[in-house]
Amino acid sequence: MKWFWCLFFAFWPIVAIVVCLLAPGNNWWFPGEAASPLGRRIDDLFYMILWITSITFVGTQLVLAYVLFKGASDTEPGTANEKAWFSHGSHKLEVIWSSVPAVILLFIAFYQLDVWAEYRVKDAFPRKRMEAVFERIHQDRQKNDSLALAEVTARQFEWRIRYPGFNADGTLKALMPDPQPTDLYAVNDLHLPASAPVMINLRTQDVQHSFFLPELRIKQDAVPGLVIPIWFEADQQRSYQLLCAELCGWGHYKMNARFVAESDEQFIEYLRQLEREQNEDRVDDAPDTDEEE
Amino acid sequence: MICLISGCGGQPEFSHSEKFQTLKPYAQIYVDQVLDNYFGSPSDMVAWDKLPLELHYGQGTVVEASGRMLTVELQAPHAEITAGTEVLWDSGILNDKDSAWILEWDEAKHQAKLESPLATNPEVGDAVILGPGQILATGRMLYAEHCQHCHGVAGDGNGPTAPYLNPRPRDYRKGIFKFTTTQSSKRASREDLSRIVEDGIPGTYMPSFKLLTEDEMTSIIEYVMWLSMRGELENQLIGLLADSYSVEAVEDRIAGGDETSDTIHQEFIDAVNDPDSFPFEVDTIVSRFTSEWVSSQEPDAEVQPLTPRTPSSDESIAKGRELYLKPSLKCAQCHGEAGLGDGSQTFAVSKDAAGQDNLTPGLYDTWGNLVKPRNLHSGIYRGGRRPIDLYSRIYAGIKGTPMPAFSSTLLRKSNPEDSGSEMTDEDIWHLVNYIYSIPFEDVKAGQGGSSIANPVKDANTASEEDSEEVAVN
Ligand code: HEC
Ligand code: HEC
Ligand SMILES: [Cu+2]
Repeated sequence: MKWFWCLFFAFWPIVAIVVCLLAPGNNWWFPGEAASPLGRRIDDLFYMILWITSITFVGTQLVLAYVLFKGASDTEPGTANEKAWFSHGSHKLEVIWSSVPAVILLFIAFYQLDVWAEYRVKDAFPRKRMEAVFERIHQDRQKNDSLALAEVTARQFEWRIRYPGFNADGTLKALMPDPQPTDLYAVNDLHLPASAPVMINLRTQDVQHSFFLPELRIKQDAVPGLVIPIWFEADQQRSYQLLCAELCGWGHYKMNARFVAESDEQFIEYLRQLEREQNEDRVDDAPDTDEEE
Repeated sequence: MICLISGCGGQPEFSHSEKFQTLKPYAQIYVDQVLDNYFGSPSDMVAWDKLPLELHYGQGTVVEASGRMLTVELQAPHAEITAGTEVLWDSGILNDKDSAWILEWDEAKHQAKLESPLATNPEVGDAVILGPGQILATGRMLYAEHCQHCHGVAGDGNGPTAPYLNPRPRDYRKGIFKFTTTQSSKRASREDLSRIVEDGIPGTYMPSFKLLTEDEMTSIIEYVMWLSMRGELENQLIGLLADSYSVEAVEDRIAGGDETSDTIHQEFIDAVNDPDSFPFEVDTIVSRFTSEWVSSQEPDAEVQPLTPRTPSSDESIAKGRELYLKPSLKCAQCHGEAGLGDGSQTFAVSKDAAGQDNLTPGLYDTWGNLVKPRNLHSGIYRGGRRPIDLYSRIYAGIKGTPMPAFSSTLLRKSNPEDSGSEMTDEDIWHLVNYIYSIPFEDVKAGQGGSSIANPVKDANTASEEDSEEVAVN
């Protein structure tokens, strides 16, 4: 029996090493490669922490296995049959194994600060690059206007999206905190420019939800009563999954939607399309054109 | 747990409508037989030709056939045809012979390579059905996945989650849908249904199913219409039989003297076997709703405004407000003078379908549910926010609800003095403009970080309201 336990505890560090070696190539940790610069930095942090914890885990398990083997072989018949040695507390050891993890934790805390700040602290948002987008898509804005291009409101069980509308001169309005007569509406289909940081305002109409773009590594709870800004930057022009990551009720699983990152022109054209659909009165140009998707 | 694995929950069943239980057992059996004959059960559905539905992947005729090659001409549009699709011979020498199966499909040429060579070649022009009933089968799968827990297996709006919802999920069995853009006498068009499923009904629990593909959407809509037809046949047939063969009616008849339980039963059996009696009635019911569904899909069933939307202006909004308050139109009686949905009719005692007083005062829809006239300040439009949506709501009413159609009251001669002048629907557009303006009525310029009246906004007011505070976590 004692040999069983020796092998049992020696087995796990080996499994851990194998999993760590196989996982990245097989995409076991993540839903595909990160599709945004910030996402890649978040992945790097993840891997760094994974390194630290794996080394610690494998190291301690190997020591445990060694001690077990040594104890087991020492009590085999025909050996010196040495009894295990029992100690009660060592001040020095206690200090070491408290301070080493503390130092590691502090290191992680400081090391991730700028990623966290960039993601969550408004002053560290890439404001300049966001403003470059507004310039390119001709948004008519004042200095204090919201940086967000859309307001995403979670509700049981869908995502309702509000975009600013257009001015008569063709420029895009700024997104206002409250609905405007000119606003454009969509549901479960978020379109924003790609290859640039873009921001949305996240709200919820009912319970807590969580705005989750797995491929971009973006996850943010929507909290009743709060309007929470989130920015993200999609590398490629394609569509990404948008999910709810907070169990929000029995229809939680229904809250899957689409985030489409596209070129600036396509984004404006998409809003124009929404505008046309939203103003459909079945009369002007051709009758029966309202059913176009 | 064992249940989940072995599926001992059993196959889903179409539940019966409420009145089914009032029938004599033999009448119940007949209703079941009719439904089973024409619609089948969820696990063994019947794609009945008589229904005006697209239940197959495609239908067409043979252009060329020899060995393993089959070229067909299909009626457009058709669904995507994949390997493994069944080819059912619908006329000609192969009619009623074994089906063929498609191995490869060339969409450009509409040419199929079959799994095995044909023993006999069909003739040019023979009718074929590709993927018979497949749309219905796909529709059922998707419906079971997405809709059933609210709308119920039989489309009775009574799925397991339904009791917790207000408003209740739609019961399709009346064939009535609320948010349509068709004339008030028509049913819903396919486009109306698919827009509802795509966008959901904001302000209710009906969610948006935006990510369905076009083919999936077609299947679901056909299945919903199929359920609606099945339910309507069931309801109307039961209504018909209940007159003479409900438990109560039979008791009355026996008490009346001449008849006995046996003579009534015999009379029933005769009626079932007489093609001019019940079978004819069933045919009539089906023909009627079939033609109603068909005519509702035609272009002239659509609500078609006479003039383009009148641009919104203070003047138009004022006219709309005036119309809204006009006693003859009664908008305010239901929606309240301020549009809060609290008009006088919401306090009045109303009668239900059977002529009894409803226990709770207020307005009720055809399904017997209490409905509140919309609070027009919410800015939420359940049937859609396009001008054509609001126009249709006013023009054709909201079907199945007390909100009436105003097409006859609001269309008028453009020049009231001149009876020869053209008709105009300006008034409806004024009302639409007014409705659009209501949510913004009590927002003062500059409030909420923006100015409604003056689009050039004041940066100072904005900064305070600006919502971009740093959120932690
Ligand atoms: C969470 C529950 C829920 C689910 C899931 C759901 N519905 Fe509904 N549905 C509703 C409710 C509630 C209404 C009624 C809203 C009202 O009366 O305003 C409704 C109404 C409808 C209507 C009637 C629209 C009209 O104009 O009258 C249709 C059609 C419909 N649903 C189809 C579907 C289909 C198809 C699916 C699945 C793809 C589905 N629903 C899934 C709750 C649901
Ligand atoms: C007999 C009562 C009644 C009258 C009269 C009435 N309504 Fe309504 N209205 C309702 C009810 C009830 C509803 C909600 C129906 C539902 O969703 O089930 C409604 C809904 C609406 C809606 C919301 C449509 C949507 O998509 O959400 C609008 C807009 C509206 N009414 C406008 C009007 C106007 C304008 C008039 C007058 C021309 C009017 N109503 C007259 C009862 C009434
Ligand atoms: Cu959610």
